[in-house]
Amino acid sequence: MILNTDGTKPIYVQIAEWLETEILNGNFLQDQKVYSQYQLAEIFNINPATAAKGLTLLVEDDVLYKKRGLGMFVTEAAQAIILTKRREHTLKRLVTELVSEAEQLNVGMDELLEMVRKESKQSKGE
Amino acid sequence: MKVVNCEGLVKKYGRSKALNDLSFQISENKITGLIGRNGAGKTTLLKIMAGFQKQTSGEIKVFNEHPYNSLFASANSILVDDQMAFPIALNLGEVLEAAASFYPKWDGRLARRLFDYFSFRNNQRHSELSKGMKSTFNIIVGLASRCSLTMFDEPTTGMDASVRKDFYRALLKDYIANPRTIIISSHHLEEMEDLLEDILLLKDGEKILHLTVSDLKEYAIGVKGNANALLEWLDDKEVLYKKEIGTSVIYAVIENVYSEKIRQDASKFGFELLPVSSNDICIYLTGKEKGGIDDVFK
Repeated sequence: MILNTDGTKPIYVQIAEWLETEILNGNFLQDQKVYSQYQLAEIFNINPATAAKGLTLLVEDDVLYKKRGLGMFVTEAAQAIILTKRREHTLKRLVTELVSEAEQLNVGMDELLEMVRKESKQSKGE
Repeated sequence: MKVVNCEGLVKKYGRSKALNDLSFQISENKITGLIGRNGAGKTTLLKIMAGFQKQTSGEIKVFNEHPYNSLFASANSILVDDQMAFPIALNLGEVLEAAASFYPKWDGRLARRLFDYFSFRNNQRHSELSKGMKSTFNIIVGLASRCSLTMFDEPTTGMDASVRKDFYRALLKDYIANPRTIIISSHHLEEMEDLLEDILLLKDGEKILHLTVSDLKEYAIGVKGNANALLEWLDDKEVLYKKEIGTSVIYAVIENVYSEKIRQDASKFGFELLPVSSNDICIYLTGKEKGGIDDVFK
């Protein structure tokens, strides 16, 4: 992944989200050790303190837990927590934007729902 | 531990003050970016920290010693800039060998590997190098010195984009392997902000901000909206920058205090909120009071 550095999202948030996606994709399993702040710094060419901030964010959300001197590990509930978080924040925000854009363009609710259905069908390849 | 401790530092050249009542501290093993416009006092500050110059008044301690005339400070710190002087009798290969005797932590292997990677030859002389090659050689010395306090003053002057990128990467990798206190002054904040932990922003010899890069990013926020409504709303706010877009829209950058309130107001009045890059925040904070370049052409 290449970081988006135009300032729309703080780097440490992007690091946290990248790790979340890795966990969702099954690249890190429960109780498996994730990258250290220094490995993340090296991968993304960022200051280790910034990487540490991303890890701390995930510890606060109970996605990771810390073992003193050993590193950070994936919690049991990580998958569920990330899914809920993405549904409640990311998806909700996208829907808010979608609805407000539709209103501005005078697209009715039925028409909008039809567009969503059509898109969903297409992406499933039907 | 504080590596640099500065209290009420003043440096005068004749009547003009290059540094004016500057107080700050830099903790061990952080990478700090020293940012400011031309003439803000960055180079003067670095030269005082390196012990090349003496302050006019105020107090500065580097490793708990006055850096001026201190052998300890001089052996444990290095200032890399475009005025670095190497003995003219020595060629580049000999300079690298001699450097080992000046710096106790000198890493000859790293110096050699970087030297070869950037295609230098032993028999070249420093004075014969191009501007960009000089800068590149200087940073090799700076990195390999492994000094507990390593300072770079505009290190990338004259370097092409790919060498600059290599330098940032080399700096980070070596820092991860051997943490030390690093201070870099640069105009290219957008290129290296991800490497930095802290930023010290100077304007006219005074400290404007000293905070972490992530806090700097959240320091200000851009607001775009209908001119009349926005102007009224801005009335009681600290406006850092304002620009008209067409006739009816205004873009303004304000301090991001009470951000929850800003968010609510924005959705109430239909303003668009936009993030501001750290580089732009620094430009707005160090801008001249009398408008921008556009006013010159009015």
